[in-house]
Amino acid sequence: MNPKRFFIAFIVTFVFIFLFGFLWYGKFMQDIHNEVPMLWRTEADFGSHFPWLILGHVVMAFFLTLLYARFVPAGGAAAGIVLGILVACLYIGNNLVTFAVQPLTTKILGGWIVGNLLEFGIAGAIVGALYKPSTAV
Amino acid sequence: MRRFSLAFLAAFVFIFLWGWLYNGVLLKDVYAQTQSLWRPQNETISLFHWIIIGQAILVLAFVMIYASGFAGGGVAAGIRLGIMLEILAIGARMMMYAVQPLPAKLIVYWSVGGLIEMIVTGAIVGAIYKPTTSAAI
Repeated sequence: MNPKRFFIAFIVTFVFIFLFGFLWYGKFMQDIHNEVPMLWRTEADFGSHFPWLILGHVVMAFFLTLLYARFVPAGGAAAGIVLGILVACLYIGNNLVTFAVQPLTTKILGGWIVGNLLEFGIAGAIVGALYKPSTAV
Repeated sequence: MRRFSLAFLAAFVFIFLWGWLYNGVLLKDVYAQTQSLWRPQNETISLFHWIIIGQAILVLAFVMIYASGFAGGGVAAGIRLGIMLEILAIGARMMMYAVQPLPAKLIVYWSVGGLIEMIVTGAIVGAIYKPTTSAAI
């Protein structure tokens, strides 16, 4: 484990997934989400739960970086993309289950699937490009 | 490939049965308290194939991650992978909690159930999947 590189990769990944989430799920998909308003918190309620959103992103960025460091530490961006896409598939599987039990529209499901692939594919590339294992001399 | 298929099938059967027992039986009353967030039962039944497809994708991604970076470590490596992937999922649940009016106790129940599910899945995959050994001459 290379703590300095790990920390840099984690921070950059966190910033990326937070911004991506804001733009993709919060802005680009806003109108699509509003088609089923009963599924979402009101703006004021969301504001009071905002720390959970940040903490969730922190946990996700940290464990994606950790997974990469354990998975293919010297694989580079390409291996990071592969890992990111596989992690996205875990979320996509979960999204399909959620679609069966929650009244989500197919547009929301589609947006989440594309968002997961982009988000984790790029996040994986970032981790892969930034994290390098310590070299034993 | 045979070991991969066996690991996939065994893990899929476990996740399907666990999901039914935990969400369909044990948490039934908790879901009943938040009915507006869920599809009516007949609608979920008509979309049941998405649950099966979603769980199959999730298990396939799990086994692929294990086979690519953790294979050879046996049950312990499978459990470690399961714990890491579940903590990633907990990050996603925190975000879900921030945007959806889900009761906090449901997030806790999902996370406890998810942890058990991923530990057992990791143990199953780690016990069954063995990497192909290339004969050294």
